Amino acid sequence: MNKRRPNPKQVPDPNEPLWRSTLRVAMPLNLSYIPIGLACGILLHAAGFNTLLTGLVSLMIFSGGAQFLIATMLTINSPLLSIVLMLFFLELRYALLSSSLSPYLKGSSNRFLFMFAVSLNDENYAINYLKFATDKKWTGREALMVEHYSLLFWAASNVVGSLIGNALKIDLSIVNFALTALFLYMIVMQIKNRLTIVICLISGVLAAACMMLTKSTLGLVISTIIASLIGFGLEVTLRKRLPDSHWLWRLRSPGSKKEAVEHSDTN
Amino acid sequence: MNAVNTWNSTQHFWLIILGFIVAFIPRFFPLMLFTKRAIPEWFNEWMKYVPVSLFTALVVKDIFIDSASYALLLNKYSEMLAAVIVIIVAYRTRSMAISVIVGLIGVFILSMFMA
Repeated sequence: MNKRRPNPKQVPDPNEPLWRSTLRVAMPLNLSYIPIGLACGILLHAAGFNTLLTGLVSLMIFSGGAQFLIATMLTINSPLLSIVLMLFFLELRYALLSSSLSPYLKGSSNRFLFMFAVSLNDENYAINYLKFATDKKWTGREALMVEHYSLLFWAASNVVGSLIGNALKIDLSIVNFALTALFLYMIVMQIKNRLTIVICLISGVLAAACMMLTKSTLGLVISTIIASLIGFGLEVTLRKRLPDSHWLWRLRSPGSKKEAVEHSDTN
Repeated sequence: MNAVNTWNSTQHFWLIILGFIVAFIPRFFPLMLFTKRAIPEWFNEWMKYVPVSLFTALVVKDIFIDSASYALLLNKYSEMLAAVIVIIVAYRTRSMAISVIVGLIGVFILSMFMA
């Protein structure tokens, strides 16, 4: 998750219209969506999606990981049920993100929450969480605008990527690495303490074993459930038995002066 | 990887609708529930480990598992090396775009030198 924030040198102008101040907050994210959206659009085109459907999937699912996964699973001819199940587990992490934003959206109407949930995403979550935590004037309305800007840039880059894929011949095994790099980035952003690294290793070994045993991507689902339960169990045990254990020490993160996006401590 | 998929646009459309539903449920219902009542502690503690576990599993699938036979593959050296580079870049820069672009350039250059 990104730790982007507006340039501290820019003094907020009280007369700046809302659409511009929120756009300024969203802009670093919008720009970083362009290359990833292009790669995703190219892959979706290769998986057989037409340009219109590529636009539709970007608007309705709005998740880089999920769209890349659809593209890869389609090219290896996975059955529909297997893809949808995989997507469900991939998107399950949003339960965590949306529950951690919920204290800031108390009192909102269900209609607003619906709109907010539809355009929620890992990266705009990170921005909004940071703004909610640090800026008293930041409300659901501003947060929703940031979501919509990022959605717009994401969908547009996907459509352009789809058109590029139409016009050029591109080595897909290389573009596909964009997904691996995206997940690696998200793992690095999730690592908070040494225990998390242990869980990563356990999950990796379990994933390989489960996929070899089940001969399908269902192994991913099984290994994710087991590994996350092991992590949960280990942390509960460590906190109870060895509260000072160095496995729970927070790891320093370079590139950010203070821990900006923290879901674990706030609830 | 070739475009060998035989699905038509109608099937793609239904995939999008189902994908929307499974993407929507975990985003909306916790938001709706927990803006009205408190979050159970155990749920949060458990959910904390779902993303890392899943992302690691997906990376392992991309780098070490053959997509057709599901056998263990230990010869994708250019991807392995590029993955290490991406981890270092992500850790230092904390930037999604830089990590992905460096990863793509890395795997492109490395695959020219390694089989």
